[in-house]
Amino acid sequence: MDDKIQWETELDAALRKAKAEKKTVILDFFNPG
Amino acid sequence: MDAVTYPDPVVRAYFKGNIISVRVAFDHETLAKKFGIKWTPALITLDAEGLEHHRTVGFLDPGELIPSLLLGRAKTDFDLDNFEGAIRTLESLLKDYPKSGSTPEAIFLDGVNRYKSSHDPKPLKEAYQRLKAEYPDSEWTKRAYPYRLL
Repeated sequence: MDDKIQWETELDAALRKAKAEKKTVILDFFNPG
Repeated sequence: MDAVTYPDPVVRAYFKGNIISVRVAFDHETLAKKFGIKWTPALITLDAEGLEHHRTVGFLDPGELIPSLLLGRAKTDFDLDNFEGAIRTLESLLKDYPKSGSTPEAIFLDGVNRYKSSHDPKPLKEAYQRLKAEYPDSEWTKRAYPYRLL
């Protein structure tokens, strides 16, 4: 089983999931290089 | 973060069980401007409405990232008046990460949450006493200084 962190790429979709699952959201701004 | 912190198995397990994670480039057309991003990595804790409650900038190793995320969750609960939820999260942080960079703020916030949930000022004084004993030079010890009089 792949246990890598599953990153969303759309904030709105992540907020909907957070609401449904009663979790906080971590928004990571990164430099892809 | 990609080389050291995110591959860590404890970090992966924490993300899987506790967090909805979103990743965008530092120059994302709308989000970078909305959140005022000037440097990376920038990690922002949001509630389900998209409101910001905690932010870090710069590298965090696994032993610092998880307590920072716990602090972000506790600050979110505090801001939403869920004091009992914040206390539970802070208990976990203080038990599992007693020497992290997030710990002094967690001690401060724990005292504040306990006061808010009980209206008893004793936890505020206890927070100051603990900060003074364990983190005498922390800015959070200075912020709690007035609580010595309670």
